Amino acid sequence: MKKFINTPEHLVDELLEGLALAFPNKIKAASPGIIARQQSKPANKVRLITLGGSGHEPGLSGFVGEGMLDYSVVGGIFAAPGAPKCVEAIRNACAGGSSALMIVLNHAGDVLSANIAMEIAQHEHLDIKAVTTHDDISGGSDPMDRRGLVGFLPVYKVAGAAAERGHSLDECMAVAVRMEKNTRTLSVATRTATHPSTGAPIFDLGEDEMEIGMGQHGEAGTGRMRLQSADRTAEVMLNMLLDHLTVAKGEELLVIVNGAGATTLMELLIVFRRVAQILESKGIRLARSAVGEFITTQEQAGFQMMIARMDQQLIDLWDAPANTPYFVQA
Amino acid sequence: MFAEAAQAIRDQHATLSALDSFAGDGDHGTTMLRVADQLERAINPASSLHLMKIFENTGWNVMGVDGGASSAILGTFFRGMGSAEGGNEVDCHGLAAIFQAGLKAISKQTKATCGDKTMMDALIPAVAAIDSAAGSQKDIGYALEMAAFAACEGAESTKSLTAKYGRAKHLGEKTIGHMDAGAYSISLLFAGFSAALNERNK
Repeated sequence: MKKFINTPEHLVDELLEGLALAFPNKIKAASPGIIARQQSKPANKVRLITLGGSGHEPGLSGFVGEGMLDYSVVGGIFAAPGAPKCVEAIRNACAGGSSALMIVLNHAGDVLSANIAMEIAQHEHLDIKAVTTHDDISGGSDPMDRRGLVGFLPVYKVAGAAAERGHSLDECMAVAVRMEKNTRTLSVATRTATHPSTGAPIFDLGEDEMEIGMGQHGEAGTGRMRLQSADRTAEVMLNMLLDHLTVAKGEELLVIVNGAGATTLMELLIVFRRVAQILESKGIRLARSAVGEFITTQEQAGFQMMIARMDQQLIDLWDAPANTPYFVQA
Repeated sequence: MFAEAAQAIRDQHATLSALDSFAGDGDHGTTMLRVADQLERAINPASSLHLMKIFENTGWNVMGVDGGASSAILGTFFRGMGSAEGGNEVDCHGLAAIFQAGLKAISKQTKATCGDKTMMDALIPAVAAIDSAAGSQKDIGYALEMAAFAACEGAESTKSLTAKYGRAKHLGEKTIGHMDAGAYSISLLFAGFSAALNERNK
């Protein structure tokens, strides 16, 4: 393994320390494993909390800040944080009678910790609701079998904007749910990542192969095939996504192409170009787009392609200002 | 009892990580080492807490190692054990009630059961063995020995199963042939529990 690290035991602490030091005007380490905004919101506004493992930077803590998250609860490398930290973040968020919305990416450990924490929060009569994201279409027909991939980003964005505007918890929840229900993602991997603690590769893939449907931690997907061109890969993936979301001519989409860690921006842009061409040929409107790294898996090569059906309110919330370490919009 | 369980985990942590690497990301052994730390902390002799409180605190601390689903499930189990009615002196019936309470707490959080290639494949038969020993008026040492045996058989049985939960689920039939790392962890914990009681009685 060739990585610039110190000791495996201190990876998470050191990366969070670096994040907080790099963006001192935006975020702070509220306590070990909890990243919070430097300036908290007024008490009458809904606070947004998320949770997830480390090693996926800039996800998820990189989106704490104005217009998006209020708290990010951070777990070990590729491992969900436990319920105790989630409870601590919820108590902080709800202190003084504030309401909070917890956004949970659908992965076994995250869901378990979130559910346990939610039970405790409800027992303490805290005003909190939770929404689970499951945008990966490779998981099968049951939505609860589908993993949460980069589709968390528009959910953070629109719910965060709604909260910033002073919308109620129910309104923020409704916006988050609508965004989530209209989002679909598919991933493709061409090369494995190494686990930064153990140094071991997390899956094997032949030099000339790619796998569509690969999860965020190298969980196997559905289709392993010979490596295809950018255009061909974009066509296959986009058509699967459009089918799954049953997108009709004239509808408006948000498209995100998210790099897995080792795939260059050059490649991501070439893929995105083909996506835009296909949408145009089908008469589907590309309302908004983002191309870059929002959630990664170390040096895994590949990308996630995400589409989301937008309406006027969702576009308006997507366009609202945000000022977080890794998502800034004036 | 916790000390022996922690030792059993420590002895096998490399195997646990190796098993995890077939279906997960290969860090289960590391997570379980941190769980073992918490089990050892629980039996700090300076602690004069009520037994149930010790279980509850241990559960909370195990969840706090932030090790994904494994530590969440194990923490829920210990925390659930602490919710049982019981005093500091426990007979075999009391022990069965404590373990049942742990299992019940987990079943509130997950639908996973025997046959899904998870920790439950070892845990459910182990708790059933304690119940059955209590039903036939056996002592705690015997009950835990049977539980360790049942957990071990349960973990073995996961070799032929297809994973239905967690990350391994997405590998489907590729998981056949390898024991589930979580189930093996459970069998180690019960082996430790059994060794603690049975060596003390010898």
